[in-house]
Amino acid sequence: MAKAEGLTWTVDDADHMTQAEIYGEVLTQLALKNEKIVAMTADLATSTKIGKFQAKIPERFFDFGIAEANMVAVASGIAETGLIPVISTFAVFASLRAAEFVRTDLCYQKRNVKIIGTHSGTSFGQAGTTHHCTEDLAVMRSFANMVVIAPADARETAKAVEAVLGWDGPCYIRIGRGFEPPLHKDLDFDFEIGKAIELRDGHDVTVIACGVTVLHAMEAAARAAANGVSVRVLDMHTIKPIDEAAVLKAVADTRRIITAEDHSVVGGLGSAVADLIAKSGKGCAFRKLGYQDEFSIVGYPEDLLHHYKIDADGILEAIAEVVRAEFEQDENWEDED
Amino acid sequence: MADHTQELRARIFLRSALPLVKVVAEERPRYRKLLFKANGVVQFAASDSDRAAWIELGDGTIDVKQGLHPNPSITVKFKTLKDLNTFFAGGTALPSLKRLAGIPNLLRVVPFLLKLKVLMPNAVPTDPAGKALKVKMLLYMVSNALSQLNKGGDETMVKLVKNSPDRIFQWTVEGGGPAAYLRMRGGQTKAGRGTYTRRRPYVHMIFPDIEGAFDVLTQKVGTVDAVRYNKLRMEGAMEGGKEVGLLMQRVEALTTGA
Repeated sequence: MAKAEGLTWTVDDADHMTQAEIYGEVLTQLALKNEKIVAMTADLATSTKIGKFQAKIPERFFDFGIAEANMVAVASGIAETGLIPVISTFAVFASLRAAEFVRTDLCYQKRNVKIIGTHSGTSFGQAGTTHHCTEDLAVMRSFANMVVIAPADARETAKAVEAVLGWDGPCYIRIGRGFEPPLHKDLDFDFEIGKAIELRDGHDVTVIACGVTVLHAMEAAARAAANGVSVRVLDMHTIKPIDEAAVLKAVADTRRIITAEDHSVVGGLGSAVADLIAKSGKGCAFRKLGYQDEFSIVGYPEDLLHHYKIDADGILEAIAEVVRAEFEQDENWEDED
Repeated sequence: MADHTQELRARIFLRSALPLVKVVAEERPRYRKLLFKANGVVQFAASDSDRAAWIELGDGTIDVKQGLHPNPSITVKFKTLKDLNTFFAGGTALPSLKRLAGIPNLLRVVPFLLKLKVLMPNAVPTDPAGKALKVKMLLYMVSNALSQLNKGGDETMVKLVKNSPDRIFQWTVEGGGPAAYLRMRGGQTKAGRGTYTRRRPYVHMIFPDIEGAFDVLTQKVGTVDAVRYNKLRMEGAMEGGKEVGLLMQRVEALTTGA
């Protein structure tokens, strides 16, 4: 994936910046070098951190008030002029309240608009179920032409923002509220839309994760290794287009697959992986970790991840279960002689 | 009653080594001729154990079955299982013969048994065909013997297999050479011939040719040098390679009585 023409950015101190702050910072830096970038929000400039953009480049910043659908429609029109609108609002509003406009005005028209959905999953846990967003990946993934990305941490978010600005067409990036711990120690990793990052090789089980669960998958893998179980971890930051080769290789290599996402198990990463495996015709033991077709309860994000078994403890539990899972139809333990 | 080590040794000889007479028949037409119009059962047993096996000759075919045949042509019976093991390890142990009418069948089987000595470390064929046969038989024997270690209750192997995830240990000789694998999962093992295709091996020992495989399997070169000189390529979990290497040494110790 080539960088957008003329765009460069630097992030020196990602350890001290949240995922959302990084996104706001990177977008602003990029916009200072590319006058085509226009930022929009719907009364959430401070919460989504796109306020950084507003402070630096007010003439290219638009706040629509609580009118997300209207914002999307305007973004579509602006994109037609050659500008690159970047919409920032809570994931729940971008993906649900404005869904029809995203579908018809952006995706159907294949408009070059970028949506950054913040506070996704249960990252805004204490704000209540109405502000959780456990359906956005499913909704956005179902729209033709849409690219869907769930970065694992702040540094990956920075690279994702740069990548989508170099992509011609509608893109959706979902990030958390912004307090997620860092996964990457530095920026020395490749990020390409549609290409999973193999963070850890393993031979017994593969955990395919996105967003905040990637870090938990890594911790679970390290703990499993102490028990003699070798776990591969794929950071599947791009849910659509998904990295088919990486998924199918994992199926062929380990034959035991777990998906983990801060999202419903219906329609998100797990479903995308399941679709692919079913299409391939390959058999494997398979578990989808996420919200099991229920509305999430209210609580602190880390408690909710634990409650729904998508933290390191829950993923480790799933690893132990999947390693033991019986799934072969032709189990035969007679030695050939 | 034979002790556990002798039981384990006999298990390997009768279940892993003895069935290789079929490979000899497949690979050596000269030996196949010995089976022409031969019919009958040659039973091997020991007085102090229930462990036994028989060779079945069926007009051109040879097969090996475990246990006691109800009506063998001849029974080669050793006083102890230890003696049976000594016999199969190439040592001297005199058995008693029961039902002497089966001696012609025994005489047809003896060349096959002698050919099994190619499995022993001191048997070093120099011709390409001899090397190829030894490599094939060793791969089949070792993979099967590792499974027998588990099924026979070898402490180290049982511990390794007990909580093992689904893992494949694969040996392959490239260029159309033989291949064998050992699968283990949750206390169970299976030795198989050829390539396991359902998943990537946990450890894959790949020999570029028969010569390389021969040098490694007969310990003419050590593993480190074998890798360095391209006689062996290891793919997968290196720590697993070390584990299986140690177990292969255990098999050799049991079969040679070392």
